[in-house]
Amino acid sequence: MIDIDSLSFGYGKKLLFDRLGLHLGGGRTYGLLGLNGAGKTSLLKLMAGALSPLSGEIEVFGRVPARREAAALADTAFVPEDPALPAMKASAYLSRYAVFRPAFDRLRFDELRRDFALEEDKSLAKLSYGQRKKFALAAALASGARVILLDEPTNGLDIPSKMQLRKALVESSSEERIIVVSTHQVRDLENLIDPILILDSGALAFELGAEDIASRLRSVRAPSLEGLAVVHAERDALGWSALVAAGEGAAPDAGSDLRSADLELIFNAALAEPERLAAAMKGEALAPFSPRESAATGREARS
Amino acid sequence: MNAQSLERGFSLERMALLVRNRLLEEAPVLGIGAAAVLGVNLVGLALTGQAPFNHMGNWRMNGQATQASAWTWTIVAAGLLMAGMALKGIHGKTGTDWILLPATPLEKYAAALLDCAFIFPVGAAVAGSLMSALLALVERVAGGGGGAIWLAWGIDALETWGKYAIAAAVFLAGSATFKKSALLKTFALALAYCTAISLLLALGASSFGERNARAGFMYGFFRSSGMSLSPRASDAVKVGLDIVTYAIFPAFAVLFGAAKVAEKEGRDEVQ
Repeated sequence: MIDIDSLSFGYGKKLLFDRLGLHLGGGRTYGLLGLNGAGKTSLLKLMAGALSPLSGEIEVFGRVPARREAAALADTAFVPEDPALPAMKASAYLSRYAVFRPAFDRLRFDELRRDFALEEDKSLAKLSYGQRKKFALAAALASGARVILLDEPTNGLDIPSKMQLRKALVESSSEERIIVVSTHQVRDLENLIDPILILDSGALAFELGAEDIASRLRSVRAPSLEGLAVVHAERDALGWSALVAAGEGAAPDAGSDLRSADLELIFNAALAEPERLAAAMKGEALAPFSPRESAATGREARS
Repeated sequence: MNAQSLERGFSLERMALLVRNRLLEEAPVLGIGAAAVLGVNLVGLALTGQAPFNHMGNWRMNGQATQASAWTWTIVAAGLLMAGMALKGIHGKTGTDWILLPATPLEKYAAALLDCAFIFPVGAAVAGSLMSALLALVERVAGGGGGAIWLAWGIDALETWGKYAIAAAVFLAGSATFKKSALLKTFALALAYCTAISLLLALGASSFGERNARAGFMYGFFRSSGMSLSPRASDAVKVGLDIVTYAIFPAFAVLFGAAKVAEKEGRDEVQ
């Protein structure tokens, strides 16, 4: 498990996290969401041991990652958004670097390499962005590490590769493994990440489990918001996309299209309407929604 | 490597693997360098009948070239160039991979130091000596004198390679410290250090009534005859400089380099 207690971290004088607390348990795939610059990548790197906290503590399966003990480093695999790979073939890379990870599963890597349709005989440095990403993902998922940290894993992947990644992530899940996925492309991994962690203003704004979301929230497309228990709504050319509280008043209008809650809407609601989202998650009655106040998306509302 | 070895704070096995990886990465570049040296000598042999490296800057002693030869300086220059770039992996885009490779910062630094300060000069010296002998043989077969065969293990080898190892540790520390132009900045700092030491010596000698005291530019690092001192003062300076040069300075360079690697790993990595 990963325990983060009173974590403060920043670059220069700007604090990115101010006494952040977080507990991540095994057997789950966490989705880490936040605006650009919210600190998602930094948090992943702090968990991996690539960065040291200014204050506070991080423990990953009982070890402090910033101490960079070999055992802790071997138990964590981090895939950056844009992996930098050396000018050598995959086989040379594995023979030189996989030896540092005794739990590395070469058969699993070969399986993933085939699934991802990775080129074998090309220098890794000459691979396309998507190919480099897939190589790094395959190496991480085959590493045998109990903590897998993925920064924007679907960026640069083609549609079949995204499907393969979802499959690989499901296959790689185990009771003791923690997978943390930082992403802006929540729809790519919508049915995979549970729970979602939303970072805002240096703190964990929300931790929402899939079951809670399913029981408390719905997404709806409707020509008007009248009669809906709206948590957050965004207007577009065709009407309204709204996040509504499940239950009575979810979609009274015959013209509305009710679906399971959309993660992008939840994310925008978390930033633009945090109190309403919190109330909806607790099952509390919502005050009447004022479209004028919340017509903008979360990003626009905050900027 | 097995799971138990991961629990060790310092593992020779991991360090050996790191050294192996460094050698595999350096091999193509060093191969090209060796081929270039051989090429220059063969061209010289073809044009002038002499392999230049066996004739340039050699001070013959009992038929053998001394350390102060083209061979020595080529190896020293190549080694320092290598040391000045040995830790560049910490900086920039590859920094995360460097940091997260499952080995401790000390193991990573020690592997680089072992490679640059010991393995490279030993390997290059053996290769250089063999190449020198081969070129001398070819030259003699072609009717020339053969020049002086360079032997890396000549009379003053220990001192030469000891000084090289100290300089390699300094350049290694520079490589860990500076993200850009590490070689130039380290060289500039080394010159500044030598100048400062020389000036201090000259000033110190003047204040003790040494009328002929003057600053010897390289006195701070290499012995020279740049200063005129009384035998007693000269002995004292020599002992002092030896302590600084062979104990304090290398210890500082190694500790500073190792600390810088650990610090860089923690602080320099940005998203």
